[in-house]
Amino acid sequence: MAKLRMTGRGLWITTLVAPPLAFVALFIVYPIIAAFAYAFFDWQGLLRGEFVGFANFHQVLFVEPYASWTRNAFTHNIIVFFALMVLQNGLGFLLAYGLWRGLPGARFHRIAVFMPVVLSTIIVGYLWKLFYHPLFGPVNQVLRGIGLDQLAQPWLGQSSTALWALIIANAWHLVGFPTLVFLAGMQRIPTEILDAARMETESEWVKITQIVWPLVAPSATIVFVLLFVGAFNWFELPYIMAGLDGSPFGSTDVLGLYFYRTAFGNVSAGTQDFGLGSALAVLIFIFIAAVASVITVRLRAREIQV
Amino acid sequence: MARLTLRNIKKSFKSTQVLHGIDLDIHDREFVVFVGPSGCGKSTLLRLIAGLDPITDGEFDLNGERMNEVAPSRRGIAMVFQSYALYPHMDVYENMAFGARLMGLDKPEVERRISEAARMLQLEPLLKRRPRELSGGQRQRVAIGRALVRKPQVFLLDEPLSNLDAALRSEVRLEIARLHREIGGTMIYVTHDQVEAMTLADRIVVMNHGRIEQVGSPRELYETPANTFVAGFIGAPRMALFEVKREGARLAIPDGGSVVLERVPDSGTKGLRLGVRPDAFRLLDTSSEDGFDASVVYTEYLGDDAYVYARLADGTLVAVRTHPADNYQPDTKIRLGVASEGAHYFSLENGERLA
Repeated sequence: MAKLRMTGRGLWITTLVAPPLAFVALFIVYPIIAAFAYAFFDWQGLLRGEFVGFANFHQVLFVEPYASWTRNAFTHNIIVFFALMVLQNGLGFLLAYGLWRGLPGARFHRIAVFMPVVLSTIIVGYLWKLFYHPLFGPVNQVLRGIGLDQLAQPWLGQSSTALWALIIANAWHLVGFPTLVFLAGMQRIPTEILDAARMETESEWVKITQIVWPLVAPSATIVFVLLFVGAFNWFELPYIMAGLDGSPFGSTDVLGLYFYRTAFGNVSAGTQDFGLGSALAVLIFIFIAAVASVITVRLRAREIQV
Repeated sequence: MARLTLRNIKKSFKSTQVLHGIDLDIHDREFVVFVGPSGCGKSTLLRLIAGLDPITDGEFDLNGERMNEVAPSRRGIAMVFQSYALYPHMDVYENMAFGARLMGLDKPEVERRISEAARMLQLEPLLKRRPRELSGGQRQRVAIGRALVRKPQVFLLDEPLSNLDAALRSEVRLEIARLHREIGGTMIYVTHDQVEAMTLADRIVVMNHGRIEQVGSPRELYETPANTFVAGFIGAPRMALFEVKREGARLAIPDGGSVVLERVPDSGTKGLRLGVRPDAFRLLDTSSEDGFDASVVYTEYLGDDAYVYARLADGTLVAVRTHPADNYQPDTKIRLGVASEGAHYFSLENGERLA
């Protein structure tokens, strides 16, 4: 191992690296380790009780009503993940392809598609809450305006539509991100490769599936992994649009809301339980870390150097 | 059968016109080379024939059928790109099979064509390799193989040798010539390298500023260039071109000597532009009455040949082929005669050849 010498350069690097390292240690590494530790104790409010081993984990996973709440929230996260995979990443890929091939108005749409991404989730949440308003929301007004009165409904107020309403709002908000990443990936494909494909086929479908898609694999890895992490950490949008309880009747409850409610309490539950909350946080963390690494490794393997 | 007819082909990108009305007939099984300096429109013309860019105006027929609106993949034309443009995520076999399958050929036929192409191009040991595991020359052969497998009527090659090193270049050049003999398709080849053009072409199309300067066999272009552009472009070292005045029977450079040549075309009382290739200059005795004065700038020794670069009295730099044993120091005064049969005459006004 090379000996670390405190030369001018070494000192310089240390000075630059130390503050962010300290910051990460204090605000990221320490809370994670702390949460791990909290999960093994019984808590009375903010007062730490005795060591209980895996009891907290056992309770959130197997003891009712926690077990069905956990299952309910987890199922919703999975739905959100797959729905956004199609609506956000899938649509993003198609939008990127359209922008890349320079369809009419590409210049305008490149900005239009990305614009919502820079908006804060708070703004998007309230905006879409207004859009979905049963009486004066534009969504229902448009439906009534074109004579589809029977389709107008309280989108956020009924269990059958609430989660999907949130998913669509989220897709609208963030579709620009995968679009941008895919577009960047497509722009790295040499034009002559696309020309070569055009000499052999006129089918856009063949070009997309056999040439473009395999060649933007690195972009796909990025957006897939980020979407996975995002979908299982989903919190702000449901919090703003559906509230801490995942209303109506828990039909929009997701792990983020459930964890927050359990750890910090809310008006309806009233109580707070740091032990159960930490156990949930640890489980979510382990699940995301494990699956995300598997996805990354698997997707990396199919990437090709252009 | 593949007969291409280009009628008044024009191409503009936005407001910039890059091709100003190209008329050209290409015969079946012909090897035609488009040659010209960068930006002359030769690659653009090739892309129009391929269908990769739309033709702004004019008509392109293949075997009498209008091709302007036909998709590139339906023209029966294959193209070999300068960067080879192999699909990086497919191995050599898949690269060649991709287009063949899309033509709707059945599996045995695809396999038969690939093994035929692989044999012809010595690609058999490479079929399972990815493009990034191949050398430049191997990639080049795969790119040609990919075109061969489709059995097109016309092959387009866009500067296919420009990414290869010099040794490989002459090797692949011979390879391409052999392929053309074997498969006998019509080939259109774009290059800025006149050696490639001269050695490969049945006919050369010399282009400049989006216009055709001359079309002809390598011999025609070399021996009877139609204008000063072609004269200067074809042949290395370049043909010397300089203005001479008529002084009775003599052609003279003011204060720079004069020569008497046979069969000088009539150009009125005005002067004309004289073109002389390096091997048509004669080194004369400095005491001679005849010949142009020149001063040696430098000598290029090439082993079996040597070229002396010298400056005439009017400042033109000319190349003169000499015996490699001769040695000329810079600033030596020499006297250059011109062989009558090697003299070319061009108009001073428009650079056109004078009969």
